[in-house]
Amino acid sequence: MTFDFSVITQNAPLLWQGFLISVYYTVITIVAGMIIGLCVGLAQLTPYRVLRWLGRIYVEFFRNIPLLVILLWTYYALPIFMGLNITKGWAGFVALSCYVGAFYAEILRAGVQSIDPGQTDAATAIGMSYSQRMRRIILPQAFRRMVPPLAGQSIIQMKNTTLLSIITVPDLLYQASYISSFTYRPMEIYTAIGIIYVVVLTPLTLLARRLEKRGGLSL
Amino acid sequence: MKREGSETVLELDGIYKRFGDRPVLRGIDLTVKAGEVVVLIGASGSGKTSLLRCINLLNIPDQGRITIAGEPIFDVEEGGRDRLKLTPRQVNRIRAKTGMVFQQFNLFPHMTALGNVIEGPVIVQGIDRATAEKRGSELLDQMGLADHRHKHPAQLSGGQQQRVAIARALAMNPAVMLFDEPTSALDPELVGEVLKAMLALARSGMTMVVVTHELGFAFEIADRVVFLDEGVVVADGAPKDVLLKPEHPRLKAFVGRFHETADMLRPFLEAAQR
Repeated sequence: MTFDFSVITQNAPLLWQGFLISVYYTVITIVAGMIIGLCVGLAQLTPYRVLRWLGRIYVEFFRNIPLLVILLWTYYALPIFMGLNITKGWAGFVALSCYVGAFYAEILRAGVQSIDPGQTDAATAIGMSYSQRMRRIILPQAFRRMVPPLAGQSIIQMKNTTLLSIITVPDLLYQASYISSFTYRPMEIYTAIGIIYVVVLTPLTLLARRLEKRGGLSL
Repeated sequence: MKREGSETVLELDGIYKRFGDRPVLRGIDLTVKAGEVVVLIGASGSGKTSLLRCINLLNIPDQGRITIAGEPIFDVEEGGRDRLKLTPRQVNRIRAKTGMVFQQFNLFPHMTALGNVIEGPVIVQGIDRATAEKRGSELLDQMGLADHRHKHPAQLSGGQQQRVAIARALAMNPAVMLFDEPTSALDPELVGEVLKAMLALARSGMTMVVVTHELGFAFEIADRVVFLDEGVVVADGAPKDVLLKPEHPRLKAFVGRFHETADMLRPFLEAAQR
């Protein structure tokens, strides 16, 4: 058994394209997921029972269905239910964003609920409204505590984009299987893909860990 | 310190409150006049902290009437019908006429001392930042914290934090200050500086309602001492009558039990007065 890593260098442009697609979906689904997470997380924290329940249902729905199922359902079933045609790119974007949004919402909820109720008392006592308390007192403190888990979840999100290859979005993994289909060199290709993810994500993981240590300090 | 016949700043009428099926307040009436210092005492669970938190509606009573500086903020009759139906905005506006100081200080840890003090004036009252900072600095100076304006709470001692908290409450120009066991979380050597600040505030004519376990201090600062037992007012009168000539058996037992503690605190009080 001999390794021939020339297949990597010969197909570098394809891999690079795939890598860019992976990064692209990671970034846009994180941004959309954050917006969803903020809305759903805040909904779970309001005094309004109906909103709290809607938030809860959203979170449990997306947390308890495997991402691959959500992705396939969005791609194959949603267009039929909605009676419209959505591209694989949109299907992937929607599924990944909704999925990570549920996790972000939980991080936000846990972060806000970890703030000492005395902070709410103090803010209320000086006459602050609900939105003033949230904006000025609770969220700034909660965000600080949320940075490490948000970083962790975002790293998982990059890895989850590999599932896009199933619905033929040409991400890094899709390109890898495509290259191996005509070079018959899956060993080299998939090894290289693994290394690329390690090289990109390890520094981010270390950064997240540093943030976690700093998050332990109270300030 | 007494201002006979002066206006009523705080009026509580028939306040009832239960947590679950445990009644905490069972028909409390309390009237506080301008410039008066009323100290609430009672055993743990007697309802004194709940009562204090009901005044600015941090706890919502089940029934009763509350009027702050002439404005009704709460009026719910037996059976739960709300006669006022105030919006949250109206409640917040009236609530801001009270200043509250908490046992655990509850300073905002992500802001400096000065930031804590100007937060209410700038965000709630809409006063411009420069004016608020000027007034906030004066208040911190008054509290002996001139050198600590730009420090965060984590960099301050408990006594310093509590004095920042007092300045923060004062910055809203409240009609009445509410203190919830303000020295209970402090190391003994830091109690004196907070009590001294409160004494100075009382002498400046501020209307105050104070929940405390420190009977020596209560004796010193109070115009009136109110003893709560199982959610009812058992004694209400001048400190010398309530604390030195207790009549009610529960009050007698309570005062006796705390006598030693009060004696131990006397040196701090004397130091604070100097």
